[in-house]
Formats: sequence, C-alpha cells, structure tokens
Amino acid sequence: MGNLYGKVALITGSGDGMGRAHAVLMASRGADIVVNDLRGDMAEETARMVKAAGRKAHVAVCDVGDVTAIRRMVDDTVAALGHIDILVNNAGFGQRAQLLEITEQDFDRMFAVHVKGSFFCAQAVIPAMKQRRYGKIVNIASIWGMNGAPVASHYCAAKAALLGATKAWAKELAPWNIHVNAVAPGGVRSGGPLKLDKPEILRAKEERVPLKRYCEPVEISYAVAYLASPEADFVTGQVISPNGGEVIVGF
Amino acid sequence: MAAGANGFDGRVAWITGSGRGMGRAHALLMAARGADIVVHDVLKDEAGETADAVRKLGRRVFVAHTDVRDVAGLRQLVHDASAALGPIDILVNNAGIGQHKPIEEITEEDFDLMFGVHVKGAFFCTQAVVPGMQTRRRGKIVNISSIWAMTGAGLNTASHYCAAKTAILGLTKAWAKELASWNICVNAVSPGGVLTEMPIKIQGWDKIREKEKRVPLGRWAQPEEISYAVAFLASAEADFITGQQISPNGGETIVGI
Repeated sequence: MGNLYGKVALITGSGDGMGRAHAVLMASRGADIVVNDLRGDMAEETARMVKAAGRKAHVAVCDVGDVTAIRRMVDDTVAALGHIDILVNNAGFGQRAQLLEITEQDFDRMFAVHVKGSFFCAQAVIPAMKQRRYGKIVNIASIWGMNGAPVASHYCAAKAALLGATKAWAKELAPWNIHVNAVAPGGVRSGGPLKLDKPEILRAKEERVPLKRYCEPVEISYAVAYLASPEADFVTGQVISPNGGEVIVGF
Repeated sequence: MAAGANGFDGRVAWITGSGRGMGRAHALLMAARGADIVVHDVLKDEAGETADAVRKLGRRVFVAHTDVRDVAGLRQLVHDASAALGPIDILVNNAGIGQHKPIEEITEEDFDLMFGVHVKGAFFCTQAVVPGMQTRRRGKIVNISSIWAMTGAGLNTASHYCAAKTAILGLTKAWAKELASWNICVNAVSPGGVLTEMPIKIQGWDKIREKEKRVPLGRWAQPEEISYAVAFLASAEADFITGQQISPNGGETIVGI
C-alpha cells in the first residue's frame, strides 16, 4: 500500500508528458486521480493508465483558463471521487518567442493557464481542505522561473509568479495544515523540448547540465509525489528543483 | 527506473553522528528501507544502541566511534567499513553540536570545535568517501545544514554555529558541480525546529512551546520528518537532483530564488 493510499489528487494538464507521469506514479502509490486536460482523448488515455494501476480515475475535460469551468470541475469531482486532498497545478505550455514578438493575446494566454488557472484551482479546492484541516498543493514552476532564459519572458514571468503564490499560500494556509510547495523542473525529455529542439541541439544542451543529461518525466514526478505525501508534512513554502545541477536553489 | 525507486536494498549508508537524535532517525529509516548502516559517533554507548536497533531491522552494521575531526582516521574507517559491508554508496554528514552563546563569549576553542565538527568533519568524511564513488560513478552525499544557516539565529545565540552551517551549504553547491561528472549527487537538508533531546535539554519545553507558536504550521517536527527528506535525496528517485536544498521547517523560512 502506497503512501498516497485513498487520497484524491487533481492533476491539471495530465493528458500527457509530465502531468501524465505524475498521475501514473501517484496512482501506483494509491491515489485516485482527477485527470484534467483540454484534450479529451489524451485525458482518457491517462485515465486508462490510472485504472490499470488499480485506482479510480475521473476525467475532467476543461480549460484551466476558464474560472467557471474550474469550479464546475471541482464540484463534479467531489461528486465522483470525494474531496480533493492533493492539487498539482501542472497545466502549462511553452512558447519560444522574443519580447518584441509576444502579442497581447500570447501574454494573456500564458498568464491565464499558468497563473490564473493555478490560482483559481487552488481557490476552488481550499475551502474543503480547510474544513478537513488537511491539504497538499504542489505548483509546477520551472528553472526558467528562477533563472530566466533568452526567450519566452512571458513564460519565465508566469512561472516566477507561481513561485510567489507558493510562498504566500504556504504562510496563509499553514494554520489549516495545508502545505504548499513548488517543483521547478530543469531539462525534461518530454513533449516540449523533444518537439521544439533538433536532436543535436538537445544533446548540446544536455552537455551543459552538470549531470550531462535531461531527465525522464517520472524523475520530476518523484519530487511531486514526495511533496504530496505525509512524509512531507513539515515541508511547506519550499522549492525542489530536479535540474541536474544546472541551477542551484537556496540561500 | 521503477516506480518504487525509494528503496535502499543492498546500499551502504555512512551516517555521521548517528548515535542519537536525528542521526539515529536517519539510520533507522534507511535501514527499514533496506540499507546497511555505518553508525559513526564519538559516543560509544549511543552508537551501540543505534547499531542494535539497525540489527533488529534485519540489516548489517559497522560501528565506528571516532571523532569526525580525526582526519587521519577517516580513510581507515572507509576502508574498514567497506571491507565489512561493501562499498559506501551514501554519506550523510550529520554529526554536529549546538552551543548557545553571544559573540563576546565564544572562545577560540569554541569556534574551532564548532567548525571542526561541522565543516572540517564533513569536508574530510566526503574526501575519504569520494574516490570510491568516483570509481563506481555513483554516489549520494546529503549534508545536514540548518534553518539558522539561512536566517541567522537571534539575540545571544550561536553565530559560530550559523556560520558553520552556512559553510556546509557552500560545500554542497560547490561539490554538486565538481562531482557531477562522476554522477555523484550532493544536496543539503536544513531542518527547522526538531524535537530532539538537544533543544529540549538546552531550552526546555516552555521555551519550545513558545517558539512553536511562531512557526506557520504551529509545531516543531519529530526527527523522522527530517529523515524522510534525507532518504528521498539519498534514493534513486532523486538521481536528477543535485546542488539543492530541502528545508523541512514548517514554513518558518522560505527557501528559493
């Protein structure tokens, strides 16, 4: 029996990539999963993998940029699986654009999904967590949120905003025993980089990481699952960055 | 990598200062997860008690009661422990001491002891264990720092302790980069308030209850709650994590960029 046994975890953007890896790992440790994604067929596929791991899955196809849809998703989930114990704010996307190319529409979409989506997902699950005096929120940031990058300043700023929300919520929600932490991945061999970079460029980037590699999505999931577990009941307001030594976090 | 990569079957973990307190908790958690343990403490009886507890969990033990400041003895210790248990895969630099004194009262002897145990001890334990890790291209080093390394303490307290714990964070960051080529991962755990014998004896329960009120989660941790972070970083689940710090501190200090 895993250390997430009987818990209900809402993982946004879990139709593929890292979100799917989080869902499958947490299911293997005993959690029932709310699979949220914009893309219904991919969400269904993740749900099948969760069920194959022996846990219940509830598929919620909605856009986390739509606050009304978030509230409906949480209500439907509670009806289907019970109260949400764990929220992983994972939904996100990359866009490699320079400052001068980023349109108002690009900017709004970037912040709507990463920041506003995470904000209102948290707002929707918190009342019940407060009532039960237990909850785990894990926000997925990025090393680019800490370190910046030569492109995608709207992405970097949105990820940095998530770190700000993490720190503030940790303090605001501690009296109710709700723990809020962030995971800030470095290079991951998932959809984004595999699609955007040619293999030789990806190799060159891996060479610049002290451990000389990017990681598999599940290596990020291990950090998420640790923070979502009772083993991290004294950990709140912190950032774990599995990044192969590329960025050193801390004081 | 398997989903259950948090086990330590067949791994050998050297935990300094594991005769009692948090060090003992780290030893017992990692033993419960399958590691054989090098119990290292200057306190002979306490080291023996930890060793008995590890054996009761069905794991093998090598006991060393030397002072971590005895640099010449550390290579021999690694040699003897490896001969007994196999090569050392994990080093937890946990040995430490506390001392509450304002700056005016800290003698040169106090200062040397503080840096000797925390910094020099961690440095040369690491130096002794790294060659074997480099040969096997695998290793985990977890340095135990403190929330006080990041925030300082307060009035009348332990600036030599704070500085020594901060030096450990400096070593962590530098070693992470220096040793990454050999796939050796180096991280730190910086505990907040923990209910071990040391603070209970030095500060007393009244003072601790008062301090717990100032922690956002309203409490101090049990020693095992620090061990969970140590064990996570020492496990295969953290193979992509190096140069990082986890601070189980109840929200008292927010780490990050």
